[in-house]
Amino acid sequence: MTQTTRGRPRIGAIARKVAGHVVRGLVMIWVVATISFFIIREIPGNPVLGQYESLIQKGMSPDQAERATAVLYGFLPTGSLWQQYLGYMGSLLHLDLGRSLSTPGVEVTTLIGSAARWTVLPVLAGTLLSFLLGVTMGVYAAIKRSGKLGDMLALSGSLLHGVPVYVIGLLLTAIFATLWPILPSGGPVDVEFTPGLNPGYVGSLLQHAVLPVVTYTLASYGGWILAMKSNVVAVLGDDFILAAELRGMTRGIVFRYLARNAILPLFTILALSIGMLFGGSIFIEEIFNYPGLGLLLVNSISSRDYALMGGTFLVITIGIVVANIVADLLYTVIDPRVRSGGAA
Amino acid sequence: MKRLAAIAALASIATATACGGAGTSDSAGGGVYTTIDGSKQINASAPINPFNPVGSVFSGYNGMALAWPKNDPIDPNQFYPALASSWTVAPDRSAVVIHLQPGARWSDGEPVTSDDVRVSIGLAYTQGGTAFALDPKAAGAAADVQVVDAKTIKVTQGANRSATFLSNLLQTVVVPAHVYGRLLPADFWRTLKTAQTGTGAAADQAKSRITGLAEKVIAFAPAHDVSAGPFVLERVNPGAALLRRNPYFFNGRAIAPDKVKLLNYTGNEQIWNYLISGQLDNAPFTSVPTAVMDRIEHASGNHVVKGYSPVSTAMAFDQARKPYDNVHVRRALAYLIDRSQVTRIASPEGGTPAATISGIHAKAARAWLGSSFDALEPYKVDPAKAAAELRAAGMTWRGGRWAMPDGSPWKVRISVPASFSDWVAAAKSISSQLVDHGIDASVVTAADYTLYLSELAAGKYDIGFWLVGLGPSPYNIFQRLFGQANGWQMFGGRLTHVPPGKDGNWMGGPQYVDAGPDGRVDPGALTAKLNFVSPQEQKRIVGVLAGIANRQVPVIQLWDYVNTQFVNTSRYTAFPPDDDQSLRLSSGVWMQLGMIKKRQS
Repeated sequence: MTQTTRGRPRIGAIARKVAGHVVRGLVMIWVVATISFFIIREIPGNPVLGQYESLIQKGMSPDQAERATAVLYGFLPTGSLWQQYLGYMGSLLHLDLGRSLSTPGVEVTTLIGSAARWTVLPVLAGTLLSFLLGVTMGVYAAIKRSGKLGDMLALSGSLLHGVPVYVIGLLLTAIFATLWPILPSGGPVDVEFTPGLNPGYVGSLLQHAVLPVVTYTLASYGGWILAMKSNVVAVLGDDFILAAELRGMTRGIVFRYLARNAILPLFTILALSIGMLFGGSIFIEEIFNYPGLGLLLVNSISSRDYALMGGTFLVITIGIVVANIVADLLYTVIDPRVRSGGAA
Repeated sequence: MKRLAAIAALASIATATACGGAGTSDSAGGGVYTTIDGSKQINASAPINPFNPVGSVFSGYNGMALAWPKNDPIDPNQFYPALASSWTVAPDRSAVVIHLQPGARWSDGEPVTSDDVRVSIGLAYTQGGTAFALDPKAAGAAADVQVVDAKTIKVTQGANRSATFLSNLLQTVVVPAHVYGRLLPADFWRTLKTAQTGTGAAADQAKSRITGLAEKVIAFAPAHDVSAGPFVLERVNPGAALLRRNPYFFNGRAIAPDKVKLLNYTGNEQIWNYLISGQLDNAPFTSVPTAVMDRIEHASGNHVVKGYSPVSTAMAFDQARKPYDNVHVRRALAYLIDRSQVTRIASPEGGTPAATISGIHAKAARAWLGSSFDALEPYKVDPAKAAAELRAAGMTWRGGRWAMPDGSPWKVRISVPASFSDWVAAAKSISSQLVDHGIDASVVTAADYTLYLSELAAGKYDIGFWLVGLGPSPYNIFQRLFGQANGWQMFGGRLTHVPPGKDGNWMGGPQYVDAGPDGRVDPGALTAKLNFVSPQEQKRIVGVLAGIANRQVPVIQLWDYVNTQFVNTSRYTAFPPDDDQSLRLSSGVWMQLGMIKKRQS
C-alpha cells in the first residue's frame, strides 16, 4: 500500500468491516428468528381455550365467551410446522410479521410500533439519566474513596444495586401515588388531553413518565456507579495520570483524562443497554401500566400469540444486534488503541 | 450554570405536576364518570369494532345490544330493554318479534332501524357460535331474519329449538348498517340460505364463503365511532378510553355524566390503587384481599355493593386416575375439607362457603330445587365418615398415613395456575387440612392459565381447580360437569361420548351413572336435553343432575362467588343497591336504566 492511496483503502476497509458486521448481524437475526419460531410453537397451551376460560373468569357467560372466541380459531396457524416456517420466513423478507391473535385482525408491526414509543421514553430516559448520574458519581466516589462522601456514594450504589426494580417501583407508587398522591399511578398520559404539542398533553406525558423514569434510573444507577468507581480506581494507578499531575495540570484536566479512559468499558455496556431497551422493562411497565414492549411480550406469551411473540423477539434481537454493531464501530472511533489500520 | 440547570429541572417538574392533575377531573355540568371495564383491558391499537374481542367498544357505553340480561338465578330469558323496547316470543319458541326503540338514533343522527339489526345479525353469522351458527342442526340457531317494518324485525329459530334462543338473540350487539353494511357482499343472504338449507358441495362452499368473511369483519376499523349508546368514543390511549355523551341517545335525559373515562389496568393491584386513591366512581367485581379491602373502605366515599354471581369454584377430579376412579375416595375428601376455612383464606370478601355439592351456586340451587336442596348430603367435616369411605375404597392406614389399596403411598397432587392467587391459597389450605388427616397432599402450580388449561385438558392432573355453576342457563351450569370436559360432545346436533383422555375428556367420569330413584342415566344426555325441554322438565332434570353431582362427587364445590363491587358516592349517587338484578351490568347500563345521578353539593 502506497502513501498516495492511503485514503481509499481506509474507506474500503471501513466499508468491508461494516459489510462484515451487517452480514454477521443478518445471520444472527435469521438464527434467532428460526430458533424462536420453533421454541414458540413448542410452548404448550391452546390460545383460544385460554381466552374462552379467561372470559368466563371475568364473569362472561359461556355463550358470550363462545361468541367472543369462536372466530379466533380462524387466526390459528395451519399447515405443518415446516410449511408454517417457510411462510414465516417468506413474510419476514417482506417485513411482514403477521397478524396478532390476542388483538385479532391487527398487524403485529402496528402493535410493536405502538408499544415501542412507550418503551423508548421511560427506558431510554432512565438509561441515559442513570448513566450520567452513575458515571459522574462514580468518578467522585473513586476520587473521594477515602472520605465520607466516597463511602456514602459507594454505599448508595451497593444498596440500590441490590434492591429489585419492582420493589423500588412499588415503593414509589405507594408513596407518590397512594399515600401522597401527587403523581399518577398508571398509564402513559391522561386521555382527557388532546394529543399534540400543547402544554396540557406534554405536561401530562411528563407527569406520567416521572415515576417509571425515576424507578428505572434508581434501579440501574447502582450498577453504573460501582462499575465507574472501579474503572476510575484502576485508571488512577496508570502512569499517565501521575505524569499529568507531575506536569502540574489542573484538576479539571486530570478529571477529564480520568473520566475519558475509565468510561471506555462502560460505553460498550451503555450501547448494549440501549439495544436492550427494545426488550422494555417488564416490571416497570407492569407496575405503572406503561404499555411498552416488555408488557407486550409478557401478554403475548400468556395468550400464546405466536405471531406477536415472534415479532417481539425479533425486534429485541435486531435491537441488540444493531447495538452491538454500532458499539463495535464506534469503539474503533473513540479508542485509538483498537482502531484497525491506525498507527497504534 | 448549575443553578440554572437546577431551576430548569424544578420548573419542568412543577409544570408537569401542574398541567397533569393526578386525580379525577370533574368538569362543570355532569362531570367525568371514572370506572374500568371489567370484561377486557383497553387496547388502543384495536379498532372501534364490537366484533373484535378487544375492540374499543364498551358494553353499555358506546356498545349497545338489543337488551341487557338481568341477573336472575334461574331464568336466562329475563332482560332489560335496550335498543329493543319490547319483544314477543311465539308459544312454541319458533320465532321472536322485536320492536325497536322508536326514538333510537346513531351518534351521527341517523335513525336506528331494523336494517341495522339485520346487518348486525348477518355480521354475527360470519363469527359463528350460539344463535348464529351456520349448521342448521345446531341448537338454537336462527333460520330466518325478516324485516317487518323500519322498527320491527322477526327472527325465526331453526328446527332444533333451544330454550336460550331468545337470550342469545337479545344479546346481539347492533352496529350501524350505513357503516358496517358494506362488509356483507350483495348476495350474502342468498349465500346464507344455501349454507343453512343446501346440501353437498354448494352448502359447504357457501359456509366457507361466510366464515371467510370473519377476518375482514373483525379487522374492520371505522374512522370514528358511530354509537347508538349513551356515549360515543372520543379518544383512546393505552392508559384509558374517553367517551363523551351521545346527543342523539334515545334516553339522554337519564344520563348524568358528560363524559366517561375508562381506566386501563394490567392487574388487580392497579385497580386497588385506583380505589384506594378514590379515583373510581365504580369498579366491577374485583378480587380483593382483606387488608386491601380495609384500605379501600377507608377511602372517602367508597362503599361496597354485593350481589349474586352465578359462579362457583370447585376442585375437580380426573376420575380415570386411581384412586379417584373410586367414588368413596372422592366422598372421603369431601368429608375432610373444611370449606369455610378454605373460603376464609382464599376468598373472604368474594365468596361464601359452598353449602353442599350440587354443581350449582346455592342461590340458584335453592330456586331450582326448593326443599330438595336441603335433602342433599351437605358433606360437613366428618373425619369418621371420611375414614369409613376410605376403608370402603380399600385404602389402608399405614404408619400414620393413608395408603393405596396395594400399600403403595397415596400422594394427592392438587394443580392450580400460579397466577390465580385465590386458587393457590385455597389449594394450600386444602393440602394442609389433608396432611392433618394423614394424607400426603401437596400443591403443584402451572406457570400460567393457558398452560394450566392445556395440561388439564390433556389429562395430566389428578385434581385441578375448575369453575362450575355458570348460570343462569341450566345447560351452562351442568355442561361444566357433564359436558366436553367429561367426554360428551355435540356435533351437528348429535351427542357423542368419547373415552377418558381423548378430545379434551379430562374428568374421565362414566357415561352412565346410578341416579338413585331415577335409575341408571346418562348425565351428559340429560344435560343436553336442558336446552330443549319445557321449564317443568328442566326442573326435574336439574334435580336429577344435582343429585348425581351430590352422590358421585365429580367435583368438590368449595365456594360460591359473591359479586363484590365498589362505588364511590363523592361525585355520583343512586347506584344500584345490594342484590339488584343489574349488578353484573356496566355502569353505562345503570345510567340507561335511570341510575347514577350527579351528587348535589
